[in-house]
Amino acid sequence: MAAVLIPLIIFTPWLSAIMLWFIGDQHEQAEHTIASGATVLSAIFSLLLLLEISDETLLISPIGPMFGDVSFTTNAMSVLLVCIANCIGSLTVIYSAAYMRHEKSLGRYYGMILLFIGAMSGLVLTSNIFLLFFFWEITALCSYQLISFYNDDPNAVRGGLKALFITQFGGIGLMTAALLIYGQIQSLSIPEFIEAARQGAIPTNVLSLIGFLLIAAAAAKSSQFPFFTWLPDAMEAPTPVSALIHAATMVNSGIYLLARFYPAFENVPGWKETILVIGILTIILSSLMAIFANDLKRVLAYSTVSQLGYMFTAIGAGSVLASQFHLLSHAIFKALLFLAAGALIHSISTRDMHQMGGLFKKVPIISVTFIIGALALAGIPILNGFWSKELILEAVHEGTTIWIYLIMLFSVILTAIYTIRCVWLVFFGTPRSDRKVHDAPRLMAFPLVLLAIGTLTSWLFFTQINHAFSTSLPLHKIELETLTKMADKVLSDPLTYIAIGMSLAGVGLWFFKKKKDLSFPLLDIVREASLNSFRFESANTGIIQILTATSEGIRNLQTGSLNWNIFGMIAGFLIVSILLLIGGR
Amino acid sequence: MNLINTMIILAICSIIGIGFYCLIITRNLLKLVIGLQILVKGVMIAVIFAGNVQGKIEMAQSMAYTIIVADTIVTVIGLAMSIQLRDKTGTSDIHSISKLKR
Repeated sequence: MAAVLIPLIIFTPWLSAIMLWFIGDQHEQAEHTIASGATVLSAIFSLLLLLEISDETLLISPIGPMFGDVSFTTNAMSVLLVCIANCIGSLTVIYSAAYMRHEKSLGRYYGMILLFIGAMSGLVLTSNIFLLFFFWEITALCSYQLISFYNDDPNAVRGGLKALFITQFGGIGLMTAALLIYGQIQSLSIPEFIEAARQGAIPTNVLSLIGFLLIAAAAAKSSQFPFFTWLPDAMEAPTPVSALIHAATMVNSGIYLLARFYPAFENVPGWKETILVIGILTIILSSLMAIFANDLKRVLAYSTVSQLGYMFTAIGAGSVLASQFHLLSHAIFKALLFLAAGALIHSISTRDMHQMGGLFKKVPIISVTFIIGALALAGIPILNGFWSKELILEAVHEGTTIWIYLIMLFSVILTAIYTIRCVWLVFFGTPRSDRKVHDAPRLMAFPLVLLAIGTLTSWLFFTQINHAFSTSLPLHKIELETLTKMADKVLSDPLTYIAIGMSLAGVGLWFFKKKKDLSFPLLDIVREASLNSFRFESANTGIIQILTATSEGIRNLQTGSLNWNIFGMIAGFLIVSILLLIGGR
Repeated sequence: MNLINTMIILAICSIIGIGFYCLIITRNLLKLVIGLQILVKGVMIAVIFAGNVQGKIEMAQSMAYTIIVADTIVTVIGLAMSIQLRDKTGTSDIHSISKLKR
């Protein structure tokens, strides 16, 4: 059954992407219908895959010793991500039918989204590291294409190129790791590699090198420190794309990569600590940037970066389950936040929060759903974000030192501050401009309401998720636990109330500062620094300048003169021959 | 290694060397094609000689046929292009035809 479902999940979106290309842009309604139909179909297939969870590797076809076998897995982690990608994918495509109505080049838009959904499913389902790399690069390509969708806007083009360029660092890391793995075990199979690593068949120094290359890959893809500058600039994409790719799915593939390979590197010295430090630095820096940003989508982007930092921290603290549970919660509530923000931006046609305000009564559906998402983001009980965040805080408390736990508590305050600031500036207070707004049309409201229900209820499936994880991922050593036991543990723990108190303290702190209109010199310094992305943007510019100068310098070597080229070829041939002669002795 | 083999190797080296030398020094497109011809003939003799030494002459023969076919196509297209270029630009000097910016 699974051997049939997996190709269906990957190829339904891909084939309909080709179909859209044949239909062309004259038939807009047909494009909406085909794209929605294909994604809903693949969402149903992915939900059917939930019945097939096991720890076995499925062989679809052997394609020779070079690339390994085309093999797939249906472990709980992969299936969970496939369901997220396809279900949220179908909701965003339905939403796009209203959001992208009467836009130009819809075929390109839908084609890229469908290509992305298929590639994302392949990325998480495969157990061949070569195929993983292949799908990984397709998702990067789709992300670049969709960020630069409005290709007459220079900001969009620049944002897309930046995303492509920075995520390529990750791609190089993953490719090098794959080559090293092949060199060590003469196989590209992920389960075989994990087995070999656990049995000590791979030298420790090579294993650490592979581990750190994978961290670099994951950090670049998931927009973590020091690569986190690309995600906010990716917000030039159409909002459904931001919701799907840059909040709910693609940015999670880094987390997935680390969680999947966790058993192999668990005992590599410094591996978990590095992830922990990256996570913590990302959380603090991106939360600070979210507090001072004025663009609604940028605030959401920074909050995505910081929530991904939470997942990194959870893996670093040794709790894969907490990170994956938070990944599920975050995918749902952040897609909800982005889609609600998109509906608002679509009707008010600005992203500047200082031009909004007092919208609560004017757009009831958008505001209620947005606030549900925001409460989940701030970790307010009983929404899904609360439970997963508490699990992470608990894991950090148990698995690391008290100092890291205190930093996490501080980040809870920051999260509450930027969330309440964003909600207040958009929906409450007095209107700061006389722009006309209207509530979400029915096609947009449907995904919003569904996602809001998901935000309220997804944590109820904890028992099933935990059971699936612990049975299908034996190497991750996940304890079997039920919802009632987990809830009891969380609610009876005094630390939970400290965290909730911190959230409320953050809200109170923001209101206090707003009412008294206080200003501290220290705060101004932090504001200045965070508006400049803590100088990371200058570092990026510096790297680009160095690269440009180098390539301008090398350019003089390319004379275009045939005689010189021939001479160069002969000289190169002679050098290689001499080296071979010396090496042969 | 007997004397004949040594002489053949020397001959092959000198033919390939002449071809390369021609490619390096000449600026005339037509002469470049001739230089390429000399070079490829040297390579072909080398292939046949290697086949003979290894005792796999039929393999060498089939490779020589392939080289002849490929080489003919290259020559035909090269000559046609050089004549067209001379008609269009009025010169056969590759440096003056080259448009790549320095």
